[in-house]
Amino acid sequence: MKEKDLYIDFKSQQSVYYVEKDDESYGPVLSGSQLAKNYLDDFYEKRLKQEKALREQLKKGEISPIYYYTIMQEYGEGDLASRAGVSLKKLRKHYKMENFIKLKLTQLKKYAEAFDIPLVKMFSLMLTRQENTGKFTVEYSETANSYFVVAKIEAVKE
Amino acid sequence: MKEIDFKHKMAAHCETGTVTALLNHSGLEITEPMVFGISSGIFFGYFESSNFSFPTFIVRNKPGSIRDNISKRLGIKFETLKFKDHGKGEQTLNDLIRKDIPTAAQVDFYYMEYMPEYQRVHINVHFINVIGMNETSYLISDSYYPKKSELTKQTLNKARFAGGFMEPKGFLFYPTHIPEVIDYEKAIIKGIKKASYNMLKLPVPFIGIKGMRKFGKKVKEWPKIARDIDHLSHEIMRINILLEDQGTGGGGFRYLYATFLQQAAGMLNDNRLKDLSKQMMEIGDNWRNISYFAAKIGKNRDLGPDRLNELSEMILARADEEQKFFGELAKAVK
Repeated sequence: MKEKDLYIDFKSQQSVYYVEKDDESYGPVLSGSQLAKNYLDDFYEKRLKQEKALREQLKKGEISPIYYYTIMQEYGEGDLASRAGVSLKKLRKHYKMENFIKLKLTQLKKYAEAFDIPLVKMFSLMLTRQENTGKFTVEYSETANSYFVVAKIEAVKE
Repeated sequence: MKEIDFKHKMAAHCETGTVTALLNHSGLEITEPMVFGISSGIFFGYFESSNFSFPTFIVRNKPGSIRDNISKRLGIKFETLKFKDHGKGEQTLNDLIRKDIPTAAQVDFYYMEYMPEYQRVHINVHFINVIGMNETSYLISDSYYPKKSELTKQTLNKARFAGGFMEPKGFLFYPTHIPEVIDYEKAIIKGIKKASYNMLKLPVPFIGIKGMRKFGKKVKEWPKIARDIDHLSHEIMRINILLEDQGTGGGGFRYLYATFLQQAAGMLNDNRLKDLSKQMMEIGDNWRNISYFAAKIGKNRDLGPDRLNELSEMILARADEEQKFFGELAKAVK
């Protein structure tokens, strides 16, 4: 790849690529990502679509929150099972609400830690009243009680 | 913030970048491509494992091998530390920073909060250098990020002690001895021989050229295992990420390896290696064409059998090309 053929103007995601320079030597240059520059919208569109579909399934009780987060975070099942300290077979059982509701709090907490979410997010989803209107952030602060968090909501000024 | 005087530099890949930066900091002038080549970084493997969310491929050797092989082949000694006790792991890192020792850490990439959210996935084999700290945070030199960044101590601890597949167990390393005289010729030849062996002769059906052929055949079956067309599109487009954006230097590490061969040709005054470096650059271009093609058909949801056959043929052609290339490379250093 010649240096002049590589350069992509995309400041948000810069990486080091190795190229052939004008003097025929090979070396590193910094360039934007071709994929991110041209296809990031498509990535977010697919992600949003998937999130909405999973959310509907979750609301109907067709899947458990564990399945929801496994898919959204693109977890390998074996990797997640190992982090949560369960077998692959058990993990797949926990994808169903009927088994999810039988889980002990200590086990659920292990899943929450693997997903890097507070336990409360296994039971609720926070959305704005209208879609795409207003933004807010929710910051969960841990307390000395590892089963209790404090959520602080803040509106983001646009 | 206590900050060690450490030159932050971006690199193509996290492990070669981390090792190179630590060696440069310790006074050894060595380039990232040379670290990659000597440590036989170039590789191919196709994996269908429950540890991954979908079948995947890798284009570099096993994480940790870069450091191990550089150590063996250049005679460099590294202190390596793993921890059962999280508190001890944190304390050890803090002590090293207080002693002005920049230290590499193995982490789950998901917790690198300074990276764009869309890039962050759970993968336990990311490497960073820790180069400073204060009461609440660490200062990080991550070769994927343009500038030094901060992570809270809590976040870095989570990243260092994430469980699961290839769990880091708080792994830390830093160089402790660099020989005054290094036999680069011997190290380069050893690195090339091992890389050629891995690509051509490792008796594993999903590794090296055999792995490429497996990938070429199996990609046609991906529609059967994808949840829907959007999922298939996502996974096909991930081919581009794995070849270009996931710290490869472009073309699935082939451009980085071409650069190593060009540098090696110069050091060994060997024209055969120079010719082979040009060939490797062209191979990289052909992998890049696969990246572009995968992104295009994924975006257009043009993922019918004809298009996947086309993708498959492109991958199989790379296998033929690399089989010939590594055969010639092995002969060149015999």
